Amino acid sequence: MTGNAAGQTGTPVGQTANGTLPPGDSAAAVVAAAIGQTEPAMEAVGISRDYKLGHGQTLHAVRDVSFGLYRGAVVALVGESGSGKSTVARLLAGQEKLTSGTIRLLGQPADVSSTRKFRGYKSEVQLVFQDPFASLNPVHTVRYHLERPVRLHQKHSGDGIKKELSALVEQVRLLPAEQFLSKYPHELSGGQRQRVSFARALAAKPSVLLADEPVSMLDVSIRLEMLNLLDDLRKRFQLALLYITHDIASARYFADEVLVMYAGEIVERGPAEDLTQQPAHPYTQLLIASAPDPDNLGSSLRRGGTRGTRPSDRPAATPTGCSFSPRCPFADDRCRAEAPALQTVTGGRQAACWHLDQAAPSLLADHPATGSPAPQQFTAQEPQPQGGGE
Amino acid sequence: MATPVPGDTVPAGETYGNEPVLAIRDLSVAYRTPGGDVRAVNNMSLSLHPGEVVGLAGESGSGKSTLAYGACRLLRPPAVVTSGSVYYRGRRMAKPVDIMQLQRSELQQLRWREIAIVFQSAMNALNPVLKVEAQLLDVIHTHLKLSRADAREKAASLMDLVGIPRTRLRSYPHQLSGGMRQRVSIAMALATDPEVVIMDEPTTALDVVVQRDILAQIVELKERLSFAILFITHDLSLLLELADRIAVMYAGQLLEVARSHEIQHEPSHPYTRGLINSFPSLRGARRDLAGIPGTPPDLRNPPSGCPFRPRCGYATDACADVSMELTPVSSSTHLDHVTACPFVLPETPAPARPAAAVASGEPAVKELRS
Repeated sequence: MTGNAAGQTGTPVGQTANGTLPPGDSAAAVVAAAIGQTEPAMEAVGISRDYKLGHGQTLHAVRDVSFGLYRGAVVALVGESGSGKSTVARLLAGQEKLTSGTIRLLGQPADVSSTRKFRGYKSEVQLVFQDPFASLNPVHTVRYHLERPVRLHQKHSGDGIKKELSALVEQVRLLPAEQFLSKYPHELSGGQRQRVSFARALAAKPSVLLADEPVSMLDVSIRLEMLNLLDDLRKRFQLALLYITHDIASARYFADEVLVMYAGEIVERGPAEDLTQQPAHPYTQLLIASAPDPDNLGSSLRRGGTRGTRPSDRPAATPTGCSFSPRCPFADDRCRAEAPALQTVTGGRQAACWHLDQAAPSLLADHPATGSPAPQQFTAQEPQPQGGGE
Repeated sequence: MATPVPGDTVPAGETYGNEPVLAIRDLSVAYRTPGGDVRAVNNMSLSLHPGEVVGLAGESGSGKSTLAYGACRLLRPPAVVTSGSVYYRGRRMAKPVDIMQLQRSELQQLRWREIAIVFQSAMNALNPVLKVEAQLLDVIHTHLKLSRADAREKAASLMDLVGIPRTRLRSYPHQLSGGMRQRVSIAMALATDPEVVIMDEPTTALDVVVQRDILAQIVELKERLSFAILFITHDLSLLLELADRIAVMYAGQLLEVARSHEIQHEPSHPYTRGLINSFPSLRGARRDLAGIPGTPPDLRNPPSGCPFRPRCGYATDACADVSMELTPVSSSTHLDHVTACPFVLPETPAPARPAAAVASGEPAVKELRS
């Protein structure tokens, strides 16, 4: 479904007609420009991926997604399970065929049509998986896991390989290196295994690292250290990093730019701090309101909190219109009929919503909306049809 | 009844009673392995009062689930309860019983009827080849004496209770969403009107939006049916919002027990402090995040004294000899704020650099993306 592309009919009240953002304006690009990187290392241009479900049904796992990854900058892709974030990672890694759109690597359209070309692609783009218990082979040592990518992607002779292996293990701070190289995965803790996964990805000397929930399987006390390590590696090798997560709080601390995905589409994007502190799209607002908050004294989880309940079954995908409309408190007939395109909200920020004037009136203060109703307060309550979640 | 231990005293005027409904005393659990015993739970004492939500926080392998299952005698060999007692005092009970001393048949009457458990993975807890109704009826017939028609009505009313349409009784677990499955698990646990519900990471596998719905539902049901909850999770930020009191576990030991408010604002034990500084917050100013260097110890060969010693920035030689007994935090106004660390108080200034980082030559842990 490329029908959501920018430039569709109708512009939200108080919005500029310009639907697309100049690439130089994205938060990741600004960060990259500061260290002299102006061209995106990798660019997704309107990529989509459909899955045929049989009975003539199609699942649009990823719909018309566009963004750029810049060397030295972190882009976070946030969304709930099933929103298509991992599919985006697999598409970018060349492990999945695009239904439509293009992926550009260092300015060139990505070509993975032959084994040779795929290998060349892999030496630039590497993927780190979520589960370090599943992604390492239990019958092989750390040395084996690292030696293969080094031999495949780097031109080293015997001694060079040895040195390279030690350097890799030291980069991810598994010390002493020699000792760790001869260990088997079962001898390592979860955090150490994930370090091996990072080292394996770095063995190819990539420019783009796609990290698919790299810390969600790890214990809370380990996570921060791993994110710090990842951040350190990003700086040291000027990696273009895509950080996929369901934890929007970690994205606030770790990423430069945040993309929020819902039902296969990017519904909001912007600089991490701005987006998390003042979410524009109703879905982002719901996501942030749902995160545990120790300081929330009026929380519905506190003693005495009562609320109506109803099953939180994921609504069936709407064939037309905004895919969030069944759960959105602001939804009206237009939302159910027409899908909104990403519109610029303020500098560097975009959201796909017809009712930003109601959902985020304060963000649009510079563009006074005509005849907009009283602002509604969005809370952690499940969206009710109209009337807001009071 | 069990003798009170520090941390159990609840000031008068609280909504929950003074007598704990569940009192775990000096419980120890070991896993017998060829290489020696792994002491998963060490002399732990914890109380749960009627209507109270106690959060048990800890990393994987800290023994939090082992403690809960050990207290219900649900562990199978090689796990053995090596010492301790667990007193249960319910409204339906004539007098308190020690779960560790119960006969098999008595235990069967107690489990589920009095103490129910909600497991982490609802998909694994539910039988995939039976419809939801059959599984609910199974529980009802086993533990309650109801006629067929009444049991069906009870099953339907349980679905109402957790907000799932009655028509879903005819569904198989795989036809339900993750959130619905967890709701069915909760309905099953509540089928017998238990007084204690142990929840073992009930929302960990769910998305945040669904998680919040389910937690709100749990709190609402708790208010309505007034049961006590022992909530096990690794997510401290969740407990800070949800629980009345929080018990922090590490390597089979309780390190600190206090009300949520104190855990958040006046954490005493260095490990608790580390945890509080480990998770990024979504709201408010960006805090300094520090994390905890190192990894949890190998329980086959735990360090002497405080198990957190190798990772602790405050550690001194004296830490090798601490008894790990919970004592009230002297500076706290609340008697129920107890800690296992006799050296560090909430107002103790932070150390310059954690010991483990110094030892391994790691650079000082800094704030993430300043």
